[in-house]
Amino acid sequence: MENASESIVRLHKISKYFPGVLANDKVDFDLRKGEIHTLLGENGAGKSTLMNVLDGLYMPDGGEIYINDKRVKLHNPNDAMRNGIGMIHQHFMLVDTLTVLENVILGIKSEPFYINKKNTASRIQKISDKYNFGINPFLKIWQLSVGEQQRVEIIKTLFKGARVLILDEPTAVLTPQEADAFFEILKKMVVEGKSIIFISHKLNEVMKISDRITVMRKGKVVGSVKREDTSKEELAEMMVGRKVLFSLGRKPLEKGREVLRLENVQAFNDKGIKALKGVNLSVKSGEILGLAGVSGNGQQILSDAIAGLKNISAGKILLKGENIAGRSPRSIARMGLNYIPPDRLRTGLIPNLSSVDNAILRCYTCDPVSKKCFIDYSKANNFTETLIKEYDIMVPRRDAPVKLLSGGNMQKLLFAREAAEKPEILIAVHPTRGLDIGATEFIRKELVKQRNNGVAVFLISEDLDEIFMLSDRIGVIFEGEILDIIDIKNADLEKIGLLMAGLRDTPHNPKETSAATH
Amino acid sequence: MAAIPLILISAGLLLAFKMKFWNIGAYGQYILGAMFSSFFALHISPHTPSFILITVMCLAGLVGGALWAIIAALLKLFWEVNEVISTLLLNYIALYILDYFMHGPWRDPSSHGFPLSKSFAANARLPILMHHTRIHLGLVFGIIATIVIYILIKKTKFGYENKVIGENPTAAKYAGINIFRNTLIAAGISGGLAGLAGMAQVSGIIHMIQMELNADYGYTAIIVSWLAALNPIASFFVAIILGGLEAGGYQIQMTMSVPFGIVGVIESSILFALLGGELFKTHKLVFGREKSHHPIQ
Repeated sequence: MENASESIVRLHKISKYFPGVLANDKVDFDLRKGEIHTLLGENGAGKSTLMNVLDGLYMPDGGEIYINDKRVKLHNPNDAMRNGIGMIHQHFMLVDTLTVLENVILGIKSEPFYINKKNTASRIQKISDKYNFGINPFLKIWQLSVGEQQRVEIIKTLFKGARVLILDEPTAVLTPQEADAFFEILKKMVVEGKSIIFISHKLNEVMKISDRITVMRKGKVVGSVKREDTSKEELAEMMVGRKVLFSLGRKPLEKGREVLRLENVQAFNDKGIKALKGVNLSVKSGEILGLAGVSGNGQQILSDAIAGLKNISAGKILLKGENIAGRSPRSIARMGLNYIPPDRLRTGLIPNLSSVDNAILRCYTCDPVSKKCFIDYSKANNFTETLIKEYDIMVPRRDAPVKLLSGGNMQKLLFAREAAEKPEILIAVHPTRGLDIGATEFIRKELVKQRNNGVAVFLISEDLDEIFMLSDRIGVIFEGEILDIIDIKNADLEKIGLLMAGLRDTPHNPKETSAATH
Repeated sequence: MAAIPLILISAGLLLAFKMKFWNIGAYGQYILGAMFSSFFALHISPHTPSFILITVMCLAGLVGGALWAIIAALLKLFWEVNEVISTLLLNYIALYILDYFMHGPWRDPSSHGFPLSKSFAANARLPILMHHTRIHLGLVFGIIATIVIYILIKKTKFGYENKVIGENPTAAKYAGINIFRNTLIAAGISGGLAGLAGMAQVSGIIHMIQMELNADYGYTAIIVSWLAALNPIASFFVAIILGGLEAGGYQIQMTMSVPFGIVGVIESSILFALLGGELFKTHKLVFGREKSHHPIQ
């Protein structure tokens, strides 16, 4: 490296094996002082493994770690912290019932037995003020928003004296506006002399924030580039190893008939809190209605309620004009409604059963797979075989449990099973979450194919790119209400982002039609 | 012959275990089955044709055991009572109900105070299949039960639904499977077969009802079904082997004065080894630091 002396962190030929998997194969990586260096790659490319090595969570099987050009061995995260490295994980490590202050000092051995709260609080306040975090050290964690909790995580590492921050997909939980604010903080921190490793697979934000980008694929570094010298397309190609097509083959929209209509649907969640506060929407055949929203605003209850898995407390769910509220999931499915649930391993599939058993989960009650009370397993095998061929699902052995399949193949199997029912309406919740680019592309294309064939598609997703790419109309859900539904022609990222944060310029009832109010 | 009750009970248990309904109350269901059938043996006229009386006793055994298991299933379905606790506690209730009848209404006045009933009349006894053995008609019940359970699990919608509920109840609900009905049926079949085993014991072996009914078969059968990896065909043969172990236990106690308890020790050692071995299906043992499979540098 030409600037090796400037490197604050240098990883040299790091290798890490897991049984049967080469997670990191002689990976070189270096971070210079005062830069934001992005580690880009698909799920399973080895980004997190590499960073866990740097954070001391994993011991590498080969290679060396240099910090300020001094070779170090990191046995645990405390070792890493002593060397000024702090990692902020995707899932926060905070205790909800404790205050910010208590969380920050949790596990710091150098803190005295008797905690001087005033002193500590003022130190936390100082960090918070320096970067405009706006965090009150005496508030409890549960009182904070997700964005604020993330800032508490950052305070935690800064408080312990981190000079290098590793951020594992930090924007996954943020709205676009929150993400922008977050990027401002990062830039400020860099100016203050911190160095940042940013892990991501979202090309847009990578192009927005990085100084340099290192792309990983299948455990290896594909290349390191400067942001100025690259483009989204090039990065995508490096990530996937081939050209990525961004076109999905949409046919022009034909106005179809209304298949699903929700009128003032209300429901409580498991904690007894009203999670849906009067949802109104409708989906027509041959269109994709996308529902955007930050996670936890009632999306799951809404989809479960439509599929009959959740009781509603008020309102009407009209499927082809018939109120299906209170009907059983099976009778709803028989009316032509199919459902791709958000959590494929918890709800959509049976992880320990074979692909055949999973493939017939819908059709085992009907011809030709079942006869009276018996199941014809040879017909079931044939049925599975057609699905596997048609959707190009990689299944090593038909009788192996589906939990051994990759996420993409699981989702393809689930999608194939639901599509084989020839639905009139398909509800897809986070259909591509956690999938690699190849599988994501496939599922999105299939969703568009369903739409082109006249199926009404109701897409619920936290991935705004996906919503914008697929939808004909975009609705936004916030705290159990649909704030607005906008035609794709009139939608822009900013408008949707503001709605996702719960801001609408004038309080009004959700509008079914486009652009009337704006 | 300990094999016959073990065959019957474990066939039922593995159906319940497949759907992760942890019925450990075969002990109590067995007692209830024995009592229900004994009621008819003791109260129906000894001149009734044997075929009819035996049929009635079989049905009574099935119903008695099934009812006892369905109580636990209902508790689970309505109030989410853990079936491990409820089936276990129902065992004690069954035992004390038996205690009441044996010290009260059913005690034979001529038994010198022992808690024994009158001997069953000849028409209430299961016919012996082979001379000079105690193999009785219950073996046929066992074979039929094994085949029926096998078909149920491997070929029917019910078996499929059972499996899905056991492996992922959320997915079962999502697919619209009726968990309520399926749980009741599986619990009922499971308890019913345990009850039938109780009936076979009083009617085929003891020929009376007494406090000591060998209801412990209900626990041994749990080991049988796990040793058989919940496969009905395998469980049939495992039951015969463990049945032999039980029978041999009585023999060594009598001839070599080795305590019978050693059988329980052997059985549970087998089960422990089996459960411990499960770990090695998914994990491997590594001594020292594992050498990488790939050359570095």
